[in-house]
Amino acid sequence: MEPGPIPTFQPRLKVLNRRQALAIHTAALEILEKTGIKMEHSECLDMLAGAGGRVFDKDWVRLPAYLAEEALRSAPRQIALYDQLGNKTMPLADENPFYGTGSDTTFTLDLETGERRRCILSDTGNFAKLVDGLENISFAMSMGNPEDVSNVDYIYVYAFAEMVKNTNKPMVFIADRGEDIAKIYEIASMVAGGEDQLRQKPFLLNYSEAISPLRFPAHVMDRLIFCARKGIPICLPSGSNAGGGAPVTLAGAMAMGIAENLAGLIVHQLAAKGAPFLFGPNVSALDMKSAVVSYGCPEWSLTQAALADMRDEIYGLPIWSFAGASDSKVVDAQAGAEAMFSIITAMLSRCNLIHDNGYLEYGSTSSLEMVTIANELVAMARFFTYGIPVNETTLALDALERIKNAGPQAFFLMDDHTFENFEQALYLPKLLDRSRYDSWEAEGSKDLYTRSNEEAKRILSEHLVTPKDDGVLKEIDDLLKAL
Amino acid sequence: MSYQTLLDAIIKGDIKTATEETLKAVEAGQNAQDILDRGLIEAMNVVGDRFSKGAIFVPQMLRSAKTMQECVEVLKPHFQENAMTTKGKIVLGTVKGDLHDIGKNLVGMMLEGAGFSIIDLGVDVAPEVFVDKIKEKKADVLGMSALLSTTMPSMSLTIKALADSGLRDTVKVMIGGAPVTRKYAEDIGADSYAPDAGSAVLEAKKLLNLS
Repeated sequence: MEPGPIPTFQPRLKVLNRRQALAIHTAALEILEKTGIKMEHSECLDMLAGAGGRVFDKDWVRLPAYLAEEALRSAPRQIALYDQLGNKTMPLADENPFYGTGSDTTFTLDLETGERRRCILSDTGNFAKLVDGLENISFAMSMGNPEDVSNVDYIYVYAFAEMVKNTNKPMVFIADRGEDIAKIYEIASMVAGGEDQLRQKPFLLNYSEAISPLRFPAHVMDRLIFCARKGIPICLPSGSNAGGGAPVTLAGAMAMGIAENLAGLIVHQLAAKGAPFLFGPNVSALDMKSAVVSYGCPEWSLTQAALADMRDEIYGLPIWSFAGASDSKVVDAQAGAEAMFSIITAMLSRCNLIHDNGYLEYGSTSSLEMVTIANELVAMARFFTYGIPVNETTLALDALERIKNAGPQAFFLMDDHTFENFEQALYLPKLLDRSRYDSWEAEGSKDLYTRSNEEAKRILSEHLVTPKDDGVLKEIDDLLKAL
Repeated sequence: MSYQTLLDAIIKGDIKTATEETLKAVEAGQNAQDILDRGLIEAMNVVGDRFSKGAIFVPQMLRSAKTMQECVEVLKPHFQENAMTTKGKIVLGTVKGDLHDIGKNLVGMMLEGAGFSIIDLGVDVAPEVFVDKIKEKKADVLGMSALLSTTMPSMSLTIKALADSGLRDTVKVMIGGAPVTRKYAEDIGADSYAPDAGSAVLEAKKLLNLS
């Protein structure tokens, strides 16, 4: 028998063994069974009671473990997200990682002045357009709560419409309640060419949050039920942050966050069996001095790597995660270090949908420069995670033989093997600078912040977003005018 | 009488020693208000100062605050005709539509530690609920919090409701929360803006002309 090719090991981070994973899962089930959850949505409470939940203290309900097990069985193992042109660009399954931006920041760094200021609607458009032009950023979120919308009750509808106009990539969106998510769904259906087409090729995923500890507000559950019934993929991570919404110890915070997520999944699957649900809580750490939820801490990267292990051991559902964000107020060394830490660990642990790339100031400020930098860092991480292919070509014994025979002037840089292989064999940075000192100085001694600022500006002025049909755009504008 | 052991116990968050020391001071005939002012509040001044300098962490500060509250419980029966003098009454709450309360709770603990009496209305508090409580309690300060930029407008509505009910001049308004800025506070006619729990104490003192 001929020996087959040598498989390439792709570097992989594991942080839990099976016993740890099972113990956290068991604790989560115990929370549901013994402590229960506070379900403030009467229809959902009735659904849970009807399915075997035990209601107490008005709107608290204890959930037997089999409800979680059943929901885990009926939820789909993969969620295929399409772009707005109908291409399957984000198969959320197994070990596929996809990076994207984040939602809801209050401030943004102005691209011209560098000043931190309130977000406006055109910022959301710019972020969407930048995402459209960046090869390693796979999906768009709003990156801002625009201050200048005409009716604040529909702020998320305006943001969604602005994103639709500026990108064709898949989108993760926010809504407030039943009314505005229905409007967003209308717009999405216009873009997809109808409700059936949207269900067949969803290009959007809703991000909603329960409130830790264990609280499920009515308006959040309205969104969950809406998405379940319309087949819109949704995630429902709570903010089970260590020391804030959840116990300070990471195992306890994970158990509680997973319990909350399972409770959401149970309601979701009771509302529409088989509807797509992206699994996973947000388990970051509350900073013990400032009481902010950290976006640059190692804890969050560790808990989501642990969740990826639990996905593989137990849940089998694609997971929600974060990366490429920082607590720094400016695009500086701290921002770069923290962003890279979460980007590489998210990939090494095979998280699936990885949002918040481009956040500064613990998620309060967005930065076009940071998104542009994240795009490069994701490329580095991908290169690293690809591993080292070992075969005849890469071992290159004949190239070595050629160089040896070609005499003392020969060197690998001029060899055909180099010419033919260097683009795959080596990582070729675009934004990170490796130029010689003199040429760097001659180019204006620019640091990464300056270079990423210029690159973001270049993309915004040169990148062409495939335009939407005029009829669709008019329909959208009519809908916005009627709000 | 020196309260040094009491001070140290509160600063350390040693509830047992602190409550024992409080009782000891009472039994030694010390005036309850004096124990409160020179013992408990003085200790919390030290804690607040250390916290704002970054020398101690939030859980340590909160443990001290909890210790102080336990001591206040010991003291309460010893005030004549319940005449405990506080620095002022502060009504606190997270505004309507917003269900987040970690930051607001921190502010409450810090203010209480600094000697204010706190009426915490919780989360999702409607303007009229703030107004009614301020009227009922004759509050000196209203503190409003919001985590979401979408719920911030409710702060402005509450200030308007105060004006409509004729209470605006009787109460100082202080606001804070992640999306809130000094400029926003000025725009909506709040009296003060506090970016974090430590500065909320300083701002409250400033508003009531306390040192």
